[in-house]
This record gives sequence, C-alpha cells and structure tokens, in this order.
Amino acid sequence: MRRLDRPRRTAALLAAAALALAGCTDGGDSTGLPADEGAGPASGGDGVRLGILGECEGPFGGFHEDVVGGTSLAMVNHAGAQVESATSALDGFTGAEVAGTPIELVGIGCGDDTADRILEEVRRLVEQLGANVIIGPLSGDEGIAVAEYAAEHPDLTVLSGISGSQEQTLQVQAPNYFRFFGDGAMWNAGLGDILHNQEGWDSVAVIADDYSFGHTSAAGFIAEFCGVGGQVDTRVFPPLGTTDYSPYIAQLPGPDEVDGYFWAVGGTGTQAALEAFVNAKGDLTGDQHAGNLFFNPDLAQALGTDIAGAYVGGFATLPGDVTTPAIEEYLASADETWESLPGGVSGNEPAPPSTAAAFGFFYGYYSAGVALIEGLEAVEGDVSDPTALHAALSDLTLDLPYGQVSLDENRSGIVDVGLSQLVVDDDGEIVQEAVAIIPQVDQSFGGAFGPDTPSPSRDFPPCEERDVPWEGEAIPVVDGVPQR
Amino acid sequence: MRTGSTVNRRTAALLPLVAFLAALPSMAPAFFINFVMTQTLMLGLAAATIVFLAKYGGMVSLAQFLLFGVAGFMYGNAALEAGSRGLNLGWHPWAAVASALAVTTAAAFALGALASRTTGLYYLMLTLVYAVIGYFVFAQITEISGPSGITSIERPELLAAPVSLYYTALGLSVLAYIGFRALGRTAFGLALQGVRDDPVRMASLGFNVPLHRTLAFALGGFVAGLGGLVNVWWNGQIDPASIGIGPTLILLIIAVIGGVSHFEGAWLGAFVYVLMFTYLRDLPLIDRIGITEARFNTVIGAIVLLIMVLSPQGLAGIADRLRRRLPRPRRPGAERPAKTTGRLTRAELIDE
Amino acid sequence: MAEADTTDAEPDGAAPIVQVRSVRVAFGGLLALRGIDLDVARGERLAILGPNGAGKTTLFNVIAGDIAPTGGTVAIKGVDCTRLPSRRRPRLGVARTYQKARTFEGLSVADNIYLALAGHRRRHRVPWRSAVDRRMRAEAERVAESVRLGDHRGTAAGALAHGQRRQLELGMALATEPEVLMLDEPASGLSRGEREHLVTLLEALPEAVTVLLIEHDMDVAFRIAGRVVVMADGETIAAGTPDQVRGDPRVHEIYLGSEGGT
Repeated sequence: MRRLDRPRRTAALLAAAALALAGCTDGGDSTGLPADEGAGPASGGDGVRLGILGECEGPFGGFHEDVVGGTSLAMVNHAGAQVESATSALDGFTGAEVAGTPIELVGIGCGDDTADRILEEVRRLVEQLGANVIIGPLSGDEGIAVAEYAAEHPDLTVLSGISGSQEQTLQVQAPNYFRFFGDGAMWNAGLGDILHNQEGWDSVAVIADDYSFGHTSAAGFIAEFCGVGGQVDTRVFPPLGTTDYSPYIAQLPGPDEVDGYFWAVGGTGTQAALEAFVNAKGDLTGDQHAGNLFFNPDLAQALGTDIAGAYVGGFATLPGDVTTPAIEEYLASADETWESLPGGVSGNEPAPPSTAAAFGFFYGYYSAGVALIEGLEAVEGDVSDPTALHAALSDLTLDLPYGQVSLDENRSGIVDVGLSQLVVDDDGEIVQEAVAIIPQVDQSFGGAFGPDTPSPSRDFPPCEERDVPWEGEAIPVVDGVPQR
Repeated sequence: MRTGSTVNRRTAALLPLVAFLAALPSMAPAFFINFVMTQTLMLGLAAATIVFLAKYGGMVSLAQFLLFGVAGFMYGNAALEAGSRGLNLGWHPWAAVASALAVTTAAAFALGALASRTTGLYYLMLTLVYAVIGYFVFAQITEISGPSGITSIERPELLAAPVSLYYTALGLSVLAYIGFRALGRTAFGLALQGVRDDPVRMASLGFNVPLHRTLAFALGGFVAGLGGLVNVWWNGQIDPASIGIGPTLILLIIAVIGGVSHFEGAWLGAFVYVLMFTYLRDLPLIDRIGITEARFNTVIGAIVLLIMVLSPQGLAGIADRLRRRLPRPRRPGAERPAKTTGRLTRAELIDE
Repeated sequence: MAEADTTDAEPDGAAPIVQVRSVRVAFGGLLALRGIDLDVARGERLAILGPNGAGKTTLFNVIAGDIAPTGGTVAIKGVDCTRLPSRRRPRLGVARTYQKARTFEGLSVADNIYLALAGHRRRHRVPWRSAVDRRMRAEAERVAESVRLGDHRGTAAGALAHGQRRQLELGMALATEPEVLMLDEPASGLSRGEREHLVTLLEALPEAVTVLLIEHDMDVAFRIAGRVVVMADGETIAAGTPDQVRGDPRVHEIYLGSEGGT
C-alpha cells in the first residue's frame, strides 16, 4: 500500500516545479528569454518584408487570387516588380524596390473569414516569417482582430486590404494600422441624400442581414437618410443564411405605407428576399427600392425589368461604366501584367485580369500596395524607424485610379463613393449605370459615428437629423463621365 | 500494487519531459514557443477533457469546445471595462477568471445533467447538438458575445509577458495530466469507469449513475474552461465563429489523432495538428503536389485517416505498441493481456 | 408509493424481510409473471427452481428494482419499495448477482470489489485517496481472498475466466454486507472444486443473512436452501422443504422430468 503514495508525491513535486517555473517568469520583462523578445516583427533588416493576408477558405475564398493580384499590380506599376507567373497571382512577384529599398514578399496568409484564423495567419507571417509590413485582411471582423494585433505590435505596419468594418479604425485606432478605402457604411453614402432630396422619399423600411456587415451597411444608409430629414419606420434583420424570407418580408410595411425600401441583404439572399417581397406584396417597382453593393443587374433574371430604377450603393471602385484616363490606364496595366487571372469575379475561371482589377477586392489591396510604395518614397526607403514610416503614411494623399484618398485622424480613408442605378439599356437589358460620385466621404457621417458610439447594430444608429457634410455635393455622372 | 507502479513509472517518465519543456523557451525561437507550443498545450488541455470523459466515462463529448468558448466569452464579458462589445462588467481580472470558471462549470453541470441518461452514439449526437445550439446562442444573443465577438481582451497583468502564457498552459497541462491520471485511481474515478463498463450494475450497487456522469462532465467542463481562458488570453478576442462546428470537430480530431484512450495523446494530437497547420505549407515544393493552403482540411483529413488505419488508438497507441516491443523486465502485474486493452478501447468509444 | 426514506425503518422480526404480493410482469403481450406471492423470512435460505423461461430472473429483477412490475407490490423489511429505483435498494440491505456475470471489465478484481464497498459506504464521489480509502482497499483484498481471487486481484475483470467472474460478482455482493443476498445461478460455469467452495462460503454466512438463490444445480440448491419454491410459466407451482419438493409429482413432470436434475 505504501507504494501507492509515491506517484502522488511525484505528482505534487512536478506540479510545484511547473508552477514555480511559471511563477518565476511571470514578472516577465527582464528574463531575456527569446520567447519574450522578438514577438513583434523582425526589426533592423534593411528592407520591407511584406506579408499579404488573403482569404483562401470560407465565403470569400474565391478572391484569394484577386487580393494577391491587387498588391502585386501595385508593385509592378510603381516599384518595378515582375510577377512570377502570367496566369496566377499567387506565385507572387520579385524585384520590387522603392528608393533603393527592396520589398520582399515573405508569405501569403490564408484566412477563412474568422478572426481566430486570421490571427493565426498574421502571427505566422510576422512572428515566424519575419514580416514587418502586412497588407490585409479582407473581411470586416478580421480587420478588427488584425487592428488589435497591430496595436500590440507597434513596430509592425499594417495596411488593411478591403475589410469593411468601422471599428478597425474608428475604435481600435492603432497608430500603425492604415486603411486607404472606405467602410461598409461609407459605401452607401449619398443614397440617403439622393433618395430624400431628389426622389422625394420621406419614409423608408430597411431590411438587412443580421450580422456586422449588414448592420454596418444599413447604418450608413440610416445615418444619412435620417440625417437629411427622412424617416426610417421599420428595420428588419433576417439572419445570415435565411432561405425563406417570407416571415421577414411580412414584417415590412406595404408599398403604400412607405416611400421605399433599402436592402442590405447579401449573397444569394438578395434575390431570394426580393422574390419573397414580390410574392407577399405583389408588386415591385425599381423606383421604390434601393440596395447596397449587392444589388446588381443579375436580379433582373428573376425579377424582370421592373427592378429598373433601383439605386445601388457603391464599393471601393466606381461603377464599371465610369471611364477616366486613370481608370483605363489602371485596367490596361493589369492586362499587361498577366495573361489571365482566375479571380473571384470570373468564378475562378481564367479571365482578363482587368475583370478582377475593376472589382473592389483587387482594388483595395492595390490601393494598400500603392500606399506602401508612396509611404516608402516619403521616408526615402528608410524602414529602420517604423514611426517615421507611420507618420509618412498618415500624411499621404493618394491619387488612385478611382479617386483621391487621404486619411482621417484614425488613419481611415476619406474617399469618393460612386452610386449607380439599374436601368434598361437600348437592347431592353438591365444594366448598372453610374449616376453620381459622392466626393470625400469619411467615417463619421457628420458625427453619427465616433470612437465612443456603439458598433452598428439592429438599433444603432437611431434615426436623427444632423448635418451630413456631403449633402448636395454629389457630382452627377452622365454617360460614364463625372461632371466635375 | 501493479497499477500504482504503472502510475509511478509514467509520472517519473514525465519529469524529464516537463523539465525539457520548461527549459524550451531559452532554446527555441519565440514563434515556436508563443505560437506553436502555447497553442499545442491549450488545445491539448481541452482535448484531454475529451479523453477524460471518453476513457473513464465512455462519454464521447463534442461539447468540450463549446465550454472552452463559454469560459472565453465569460472572461471577456467580465473583464472588459468599456467598449462597444459585450457586457463590459469591468471586474478585476482574477474575479473575471473565477466567474468565467464558475459559469463554465455550472453550464457543464446543467448540460451534463441533461445528457446523463444517454450513452454511446446518442451522447455524441446530443453533445453535438449542444455545440450547435451553443454556437447559435452566442451568435444570436449579441449582448453576451458583442456583435461578432468580443475583442481587445487583455490578460491579467501577472501574465503580461508573452512567454508566461506558455508557462501557464504548461503548468495547467501538467496539473491536468497528473490530476486526471490520479483521479482514475480514486473512488470517484473508479466509479466513473464502473459507470462506463456497466451502468446497470453500478445502479444495483447503489450508485447514482446519472449524477456521477454529470459530475464528471462538470469536471471536464471546468478543465476545458481553463484551456478556454488561456485561449482567450492568447488570442485577445473571441467570437461565435471561434466555437463553431469547425473548431469543435478539430478538437475531436486532435483527440482521435492522439488516441482517446491515452491522456498523453491529447497533447500529442494537438502538437501534430498545430505542426501540420503551421509548417506543412513551408515544405519545399509542397504546393507543386497540390497541397496548398486551400486544401489544408483535405490534407489533415487524409492524415487523420492514415493514423486511424495504422492505429485505431491514435499516435499514443502507436507509441504504446513500440514501447511494448522493447525488451524490458516483466512487471508483476503484467498479466493483463493485450486483448483486453483492445476490447476496452472499443468499449470506451462505443460504450456498452 | 416509492418510499424515499427507508433507511431508518425498523425491521419487524416477525414480518417477512421480503414480501412479494400478486406481482405481475408483462413484456408486451407476454406475461412473464402471472401473480406471484412470496414471503421470505429473515435469515431464510430460499432456492427458486424452475425451467428456463419460468420467470425466476424476472422475479429477481422485480425484487432488486431493475424492472418495475406491471402490477402487485414488493416490500423489503416492511417497506413498500415497488417503485423504488434499483440504486436505492442497496440501502435496504439488498445485494444481487446476475445470471450473466456483470462486472466492470476494465477494472481489476480488487477495484471491482472496492467499488462495491465504496458504494456501500457512500464514499464513491470522493475524488482523492485517504486513510479510509486505504482501509477499504485492504478490505477489498481480503474479500478477493475469500472468494479465491487473491491471486488475481490485479487482473482486469474482463480477462477473468467465466467461473472467476461469478466468484468476483459474489465477492462484490458479499462486500456490501447484505441482509438480503440474491444469487442468480451462482454455480453455473463453476468447476467442482469451485462449487464446493461456493457452498462452504454460503454456509458460512451469518445466520441473519437472507439468501435467495436461483440455481439449476440441485446439489448446490438443496444443500444450501431450507425451503424451495418451484416456478413454471410465471407462477409458483410448488413450495416446501427440499424433500417435499423432490417428492412432488408436478415438479417432476414440469421440471425435473425435463432437465433430469443437472
């Protein structure tokens, strides 16, 4: 029986030893263990070690090519880089150099639209592969997680990819996290102004996906529509992945009771929800509807040309029919760089690279790449002092193909947003046509959103009148030409 | 006593390993410690609760990752002072730790009680339902999960240094390993094994079988909660997707790779999983044979299959077999035939 | 009906320790027991005989609480426990073995007996080991010796031979110091020597211990039992001393006739 006691003693001993070890390092700061140091980016190197946070799994997994392509194109156009493959962006680029400083692509992270995964990926890029600059991530919640990570690693430089959440800049405010594009709320800027002041809508019902992007997208519309004097009577939030929208449509007022509807239902839900609306309310005319970026001409396949007249919110790029020399040059440069790219827009089938380049995912990562290059030029290629690079990035004003971008005090983009309408063309087909560009939109919506406001949610923001800086500032677009 | 000496030998074998792991931070790169090993230890801790319930209680639970997440969410709600997400109770970090563990254990007790009359496949399915419902609870009741997660969660000051999380995970893992093994020799642990082997007989001996199962599940929940705390300190954030069905299955896979009849298998499985996940793509030319990041889950699935075909008892089972091959002095109690071990493993997985 | 607080019930010396009244059990349409009445006095050694399918084990299951009867009542020590769950009955002093030995296959012989002890002493939820624990372990080893399993105390129950598992089950039942010991075919599968030992063991039990015994082995049954009940088709067809039953022609016809006194 005595022997039974021995394991217990050993066990206690082991446990005590382990705890003592844990205890004596808890103070932590002066132990000099490698694991306590260098948890941040490798510093002291003489170049940029770039990591790109892409998305190879999950709902945006199809856009992995696009996002790597975006940054690569920036390197090709502005840093003299060569792409490794003519048919895929994922092989990366070589030879990028700015003001004598090489930019080396050390790795491409693989997100799956969850914060946990993107944190693992960014840690791998930074802590294992030694990246000191990160471009990415793609999606909203990922942006918040990576911004938090940046805040903990002040020597790192992060340029957001195309992540649309407000909080990553508005609330996290990491001094080394930069976003050279808008957020999900900003992409609907101008809709409220036009619908209330031009189309005469006074009351609107809002239906949006019940998750952060749906909330944020609806929040931008509501803040502006209410800001310029409209009323949002009803807000309905079907869960993401709903297949039968009829219970939610039933909660909406009838077409006679409101002036219009704003839809922020994405993915396959857009069409399903609109069809449920037709079934329940018996009537759908485009001039009573507006939607965020998920409204597109394909809806006509199921809904017919009645959808014509609907207004559509913007995204990172301008509507496809807007042509300026800068845009044409940008798209042409993409086609010169690769023979084809299997991007997300073309369903991962090889397609002309300009197809991908014209879409927001590619463009967001392109903008980040250009920002990095211009930031490096501003510090004359000296990356030894991250603070100087961060200061330079903060002060940048970029003349990008789809408009000028500068940063606000939270290092989030002040951008031009392009609105469009679904119209019937000469062949009787529904097409998307640019109608206005809203210049210099910022995150705050004239004070509706700030560092101390809650995240957009089912009941935030409330419907309140306030000055919207860009009210009446919309630049009309006629036949694809902005009337500046 | 045969069993006593086995425990003794195993524990003694652990000593150099723990000493090695304790010294590792001064030898290995920071990434290996703070990322690979810390994640291995905390996932191993959570997987060990699956092994505990399966090995002793015959209960294969898919709800352990949910409980892991409950602890994280509760800590985030309690510890954060302000911000737009979660309850923002602003408690002292250690009070938040205590409350998170209390809530997790209570939740485990309640869930365990509901499941206590089911066994085998039904237990697996019921706990899967828990995992799914739990995900939706946190995804839809945004008051407790913030809209899409609680972010900016900081660890207690004591654990501020990155490496201290590694030591915390190591300490908790060692305690859990020793504790679980020792528990198997106590009245409670033996009774749990009795419940696994023959619940009807246990009842006729006067045992309250459902209560015993429930208590074991609550204990498993408590330990999973410890792992969940380390996880939320390590990640700094937690959102409903963190406890979705994907991570839930990954934890089960970890336990299965390692071998559900061996506690060391939990950590072994976690180590292999994290290694695969982190380093597989760095192998030269690996993408030329089609193993790209986008196909990771397929590759991991194939490796799991391979391990299961080679050894139904996982990696720990392979290690065990290798150890048996080595010539060694016969120990007095070695009469337990290998045949029994094989049969027991099945019983542990299938129950009854 | 279920009496939760039964531990303090004072046994009435005159009243039967086990009292079965009009117990019926139906499995779907099949009547396994058709109204059994049975009184067992304290300290009595009762053998229940009958061909396969007579309902003997079902009667055991009803008394031990493993199944609830369709009708009728069961009282132990004067307490109606018809609906009392099986796990509460050990507190009334009931211990049983099963026709097909039920042991904990993954645990050693000593651990099996230790568990029976721990359950009996209400120490089974203690998650550490103490002095009490060590005493119980020592006791478990003594019990293992007493059922001739001393050499196998470290062997997993699942690895024991059939007869050894029966003895282990008997040990587990004895460890709880039962007042009512119910043995379901304890001698089946035992060697001649083991049977002798079984009989010796049962004969050595304190006089106050009541033994209910289902047994096909007439030799064992008649040596231990002071009274014999014969069942067939869910009914008792004869009762009396071993000699009376031996002479009963109905018993010969139904039971001994067909099985020839194995």
